[in-house]
Amino acid sequence: MKKILLQLIIVIGLFFGTWFVLSQVNWMKLFRIEKITKTTEEKLGDLFWEIYKDKEIKDTAVTKPVDSILSRICSANRIDQSTIKLHIVDVQDVNAFALPNGHIVVNKGLILDAQDEGELAGVMGHELAHLQEKHVMKKLVKEVGLSVLISVTTGGGGGEVAEIARMLSSSAYDRKLEKEADMKSVDYMTMANLPPDHLANFLYRLGQNAPDNMRYLTWVSTHPDSKERGEYIVEYSKGKTRELKPVLASQTWQQLKTAVGATEAE
Amino acid sequence: MIIDNTSYSPTDHEAEKASNSYLMSLVAAIAGLPLPIINLIATFIFYMGNRKGTYFVRWHCTQALLSQFSLLFMNSFGFWWTVSIIFSDAVVTNYYVAYVITVVLFNLIEFIATIYTAIHTRKGEHVQWWLYGDLTNLICRR
Repeated sequence: MKKILLQLIIVIGLFFGTWFVLSQVNWMKLFRIEKITKTTEEKLGDLFWEIYKDKEIKDTAVTKPVDSILSRICSANRIDQSTIKLHIVDVQDVNAFALPNGHIVVNKGLILDAQDEGELAGVMGHELAHLQEKHVMKKLVKEVGLSVLISVTTGGGGGEVAEIARMLSSSAYDRKLEKEADMKSVDYMTMANLPPDHLANFLYRLGQNAPDNMRYLTWVSTHPDSKERGEYIVEYSKGKTRELKPVLASQTWQQLKTAVGATEAE
Repeated sequence: MIIDNTSYSPTDHEAEKASNSYLMSLVAAIAGLPLPIINLIATFIFYMGNRKGTYFVRWHCTQALLSQFSLLFMNSFGFWWTVSIIFSDAVVTNYYVAYVITVVLFNLIEFIATIYTAIHTRKGEHVQWWLYGDLTNLICRR
């Protein structure tokens, strides 16, 4: 019996030992898995951004304040801001979305609808979390397939690119990923001394108004269960609020809203 | 692996049945390749069918069954890991690639050992595997 036990331990040890030794090899690099994924992501990001590029607002009165909110979130959470490309586009829908390769697109309508910088920062944090947690590529690979994505980047049809970009901008991630992004946004806000629960306020308010102006509430209509999400965000935020340090003075926030309202894409 | 051809000389019919217990797992493994449970079920059915057979046949059916059983754990884990990568949000990592290679290696060793044993058992030789042979001696009584 003792002999069998010893033999069993040796076999199990041999198995785990082989696994451990083999896992020390960088297979991802060897098989160029990382490189293929990285180049595909870069190309996809550029392709999708091309579709929205014409609507970009470049007025510094708009971009600077929004950039400074992003800077605060990034620096407080040790995120390399140079990897994030923030764009504000002249679209009335209340929407924001992330595209591959670090693009965050915020619609003009969302800034106009946000009541304070905390709400805008919360939504930006949510989209930033989708990028940081690699949700964007996961969603694409899951729903479109890696082979289609690679073929698109190597000269596939333009129709497909537009279709996939539309899917990214107007459909939610699965429930688990959405929740992960919400929680991450709360963490980002806490670290950045911004109000962590204002994202919940935004969701509640837009969720209540939804039947009246659903047409413009893409972010809420594509992110179901706003009420439930608001509740768990509030719950998770409890006790997390640090000393709040606003990024923008209230006057600057008002100026931003006025500037956004007045601007049109160049 | 120990070949012991001094203790007992099985009849041709016995040797064929004992050898088939190993072949069974191989054929089932090839047929149901993506599902790691198929070869175990096949060997188990063969074992049940022969559990009242002679000692030589029973012994080899048990050894074949035990060897398939340990593979089941390794292969099932790898199978569900792969499924989670394809259908959920798990990603390919160095650990995953290393696991797949390890499992393939162990399966290959098992595969070669099974073919070797099937051939020798068919000749009426009693092949005892390291660990599994002793385990089978514990379970199988004359």
